[in-house]
Amino acid sequence: MSEVPAHSAKAVLPLYWQVQRRRNADLFGLFAVVLAFLAAYGFLFPGFFTLQGFAKFTQSWFPLALVAMAQAILMLTGGISLAVGAMVSLGAVIAATTMAGPLGVTGGAAVVALAGLGIGAATGLIVVKLRLPAIVVTLAGSFIVGGAALLILPRPGGAVPEWLSDMLAGNTPAAFALIVLIVLLWKIYLATPLGLGIYAAGENPVGAYRSGIRVDRVLVAAYAISGLLSTGAGLFVAAQTGSGDPVIGTAFTLNSIAAAVLGGIGFLGGQGSMRGALAGSLLLSLMISVMFFLGFTPVSQYVAQGLIIIGAVAIPQFRRKR
Amino acid sequence: MATAAPYLAARGVSKWFFGNPVLRDVSIELHPGRVHALLGENGAGKSTLINLLSGALPADRGTIEIDGTPIPRMTPATAQQAGIAVVQQELSLTGSLSIAENIGLGSYPRQFGMIDYAALADRAEAAANLAGLHEPLSIPVGTLPLGRRQMVEIAKALYRKPRVLILDEPTSSLSASEARILTELLQRLKREGVAILFISHRLPEVIALCQHVTVLKDGVCMADRPIEGTDAAGLVRLMVGRDPGDLFPHWTPAPSLATAIAVKGFSSGLMRDVDLEIRRGEVLGIGGLAGQGQEDLLLALYGAAPAETSAAEVNGVAGLPRSVSRANAMGIAYVPADRKREGLHISHSIITNLLLPGFARKSALELRNRSEEGQVAKDLASHFAIKGDLDRPAQALSGGNQQKVALAKWMSNQPQVLLLNDPTRGVDVETKREIYIMLRQFAIEGKAVVLLSSDTPELVHLCDRVVVIREGRIVSLLERAELSEQAIVAAAVGAETPEAAA
Amino acid sequence: MSSARPARSFKRRTTAILRSRPFLTFAVVLLVWVAASFLRPGFGSFGHLRYLVELAAVIGLVAAGQTFVVIAGGIDLSIAAIVTVSAVSLPLLSIDADPTGVTAIIATLAMTTCIGLGNGLGVAYLRVHPMIMTLAMATFLQGLLIIIAGGSAISSQNPLVAWLGNARPGGIPAGVYVWLAVSALVLLVMHATPLGARIFAIGANPLASKLSGVPVQATTTVVYAISGFTAGIAGVLLLGMNGQGYVGIGDPYLLASIAAVVLGGTSILGGLGTYAGTMPGALLLVTITALITVVNASAGWRSILFGSLVLALLLLSGREQARR
Repeated sequence: MSEVPAHSAKAVLPLYWQVQRRRNADLFGLFAVVLAFLAAYGFLFPGFFTLQGFAKFTQSWFPLALVAMAQAILMLTGGISLAVGAMVSLGAVIAATTMAGPLGVTGGAAVVALAGLGIGAATGLIVVKLRLPAIVVTLAGSFIVGGAALLILPRPGGAVPEWLSDMLAGNTPAAFALIVLIVLLWKIYLATPLGLGIYAAGENPVGAYRSGIRVDRVLVAAYAISGLLSTGAGLFVAAQTGSGDPVIGTAFTLNSIAAAVLGGIGFLGGQGSMRGALAGSLLLSLMISVMFFLGFTPVSQYVAQGLIIIGAVAIPQFRRKR
Repeated sequence: MATAAPYLAARGVSKWFFGNPVLRDVSIELHPGRVHALLGENGAGKSTLINLLSGALPADRGTIEIDGTPIPRMTPATAQQAGIAVVQQELSLTGSLSIAENIGLGSYPRQFGMIDYAALADRAEAAANLAGLHEPLSIPVGTLPLGRRQMVEIAKALYRKPRVLILDEPTSSLSASEARILTELLQRLKREGVAILFISHRLPEVIALCQHVTVLKDGVCMADRPIEGTDAAGLVRLMVGRDPGDLFPHWTPAPSLATAIAVKGFSSGLMRDVDLEIRRGEVLGIGGLAGQGQEDLLLALYGAAPAETSAAEVNGVAGLPRSVSRANAMGIAYVPADRKREGLHISHSIITNLLLPGFARKSALELRNRSEEGQVAKDLASHFAIKGDLDRPAQALSGGNQQKVALAKWMSNQPQVLLLNDPTRGVDVETKREIYIMLRQFAIEGKAVVLLSSDTPELVHLCDRVVVIREGRIVSLLERAELSEQAIVAAAVGAETPEAAA
Repeated sequence: MSSARPARSFKRRTTAILRSRPFLTFAVVLLVWVAASFLRPGFGSFGHLRYLVELAAVIGLVAAGQTFVVIAGGIDLSIAAIVTVSAVSLPLLSIDADPTGVTAIIATLAMTTCIGLGNGLGVAYLRVHPMIMTLAMATFLQGLLIIIAGGSAISSQNPLVAWLGNARPGGIPAGVYVWLAVSALVLLVMHATPLGARIFAIGANPLASKLSGVPVQATTTVVYAISGFTAGIAGVLLLGMNGQGYVGIGDPYLLASIAAVVLGGTSILGGLGTYAGTMPGALLLVTITALITVVNASAGWRSILFGSLVLALLLLSGREQARR
């Protein structure tokens, strides 16, 4: 039994920060690998250390970071979404068709946010109240949402105001600032009962229910936030490309799963953390960029990506067995 | 003497699971300042009654009353608001969250909509101190051993300053000192006017601590009376319905004892450097407190976990089986403790469960013969008295019948060595008798039976020899003549004298 | 008593079949066909229905492997890539020395089965989650496809493949015969062999299966190999029907296979279901798609209708109630 009385530990650090420190301890391995890749990237592309190079990199990372978080929040509850890509497309086309018009940027962004929250919440309600597995609900949902995107913008087009594109996808590190903001918002959410309840609901739903946690509300809120993050990623992609494309999000679904898994999020629920997912998405982005700079052919890029993903999942399993 | 309305009461509640009656017209009253014992065999309905009282499950008939008022739709949230706290055997903790976050789970102090961690730290610390928890509150609960997690669960209940505290076998995973802390805590709460419901199998504990007792047997209330005037034997008679001695078949010594399995220098999991001999025609008991390595022993003998030995022999062939398939081929069968998660496929039909070991051993692509399968299943079912439609999912059976299926499925393989992990846990009295008779019969037929059990009377009455395991080693090997409950418990807790263990 | 039993059990079995998901799904398909042919006379014509069944055959073949994998508790996200690899590689594996074209088919199927085997080994022995393993495999295969096909379509000169894709012995497409033959084998393995029983067991509870003596790792590996095999057959058939193979030819079939499996009553969680349900599931999927095309809506509405119909059908059947 430990001899350290609780009150002396409090004198060292408040409880909240102690908890954070312990949560970070698990991720040292991952953070180390990410740093290694960052170093490699910086070495290959010294422009990375300029403001512009840094900005460009974070812009390419941003959408993946958001969808990784969107996927991670669901996987923490024991669910998953195969509709992430469709939501990204939806966000992109809504942005491209509303922002240049009378609603303006703020109006357009509001519509994007509401669409994400609303569709996410609806998905969550179907999963929770109707007891359908998330994988098939979001599979069907991807068709519905993808179809809606096609309705709004049947062919690539639309427009995003120049100044927005310049700000988000130009030479300013606005994307990085946004990531920091989103992470802060997430930390705040995690410090609320609805947010912290995600871990309880994901790992031990029966125990959470018996503890008086409104598991249904926690889950629906998680789905809503996931939707918001996905459509938000789409908005950014539209700003990046300057227009909307109704199928631009397709690749994001599987990439979001890969990034979340690389970041240590498990499929069973309650395993992993958002900072891990973020690190995973950063790692995936870096991998792709590093391979590009190292002159990997597209073939070997695919092969290497596949191998790294498998390795990232299989190696911890082996380590645990020994 | 309580004249005011009880804080919490159940009036004539009944509950069915998949058509099986689990509780029948049971009533109970929890009064402030009184420790109320709830006794009954495994499977008598105690856990279900707790679930009804705490709102985790709805009653099919009858009502739950709080302060004398019937509550139509009880949920865990209503129960909590009424000041009812439960400590169940299945912990409600989340491993990835810290101790403090678990203690306050579901009723965090808030500030501006967020969790007030400073207030949480204070309140959690107070609750933790009451429960004797001195670990740093920021460590994840998943890193704690089971006993400590149990104390976190208790601290969690205390955090809410309950008026009613319900504890379901709280001492089963606790060390002696932790159990003492708990007992002192309960006495203090009693003095403060909390109504306490206490479930335990340890009768001396119950008699020392409680003022009132309710006894359940097969879902029916057999007694509801003050503790004063009863003794352990009387309580057991009420729980079991007959004198303890009648429960067990007559023991006869085995005619000859050949070695089935012998290991030397065996290590696996928690077990360290153990020498053991398992003989045919004998029921070998394995005793000890929970989690001392007994299960690791069985799993390794079964080929389901790796083991190192300096010498090992199974049926005259050197070496332990390296896989479960090998073990089955060598005539070894294993019945796990957790029949719902490890022993059976509860969503599959009874027939499928009974036939699975056969399917595992046949060659993959030979054509199945359904009528032959049906006959095999029917024979097994009749031999083991498993009644009813065999196409039902195993989930629909009572705990006792499920256990019989978990045992019967091995019989077509004609196993020579049976490794049984707590086979009568959660099983009703009648089925227990049937299983005990079967086990002695196996021994008479010349099989080797290894019985890992947390039920000491079982070990005493059924076994030819008992090994007691503590901290991964065999601390005692008791021959038939030396077998007694005191001897086993004493060895299990490491007491010098039998009296200290009581 | 024994004389009454056969009659009772026959009646019981027929009622069970009539109430079963596969039969109900099939009944829904027939109902829709009848209704649609009233609303649109061309729909119910033999030629059109034959076309639908032919389309369903490809989905059905891919979904056969997926059914095995899902029942075993996993999922195969690489089948679209495997179908494409099969369609694209077969012309390249043709040997001039063999005029019939059989060797090319055998070689292709051997290759796709090995790919499936790779998936299985990764899931069973490296303990990689099926989604991740098959996703990674799909990524590898994308790289492989670049090497094989670059960006161009590859035409097939293989006579046997052409025959499979276009011939109509007895008025029924050869592909449908292939589907029926494969279906018979699949149903046989699933319901009449110990292998099938083991697959159901590991899908329902891998730990209890291991402790019951089921060779979990070997069985897991086998189901993914089967999935590779059937995806390979589907690719061959597609090649025959299209005349050429190109990158992306298999893409629609991933989601279609999962949808057919789930619509047919197989639980996505594993341990429960049957290919007998996936077959009408594939038919239902193709029918829905055809109906939506008939409505002549834009691409967006078609997609929305498709997703909504699938969701509605799932609501009627796919609820995971109190199973665990």
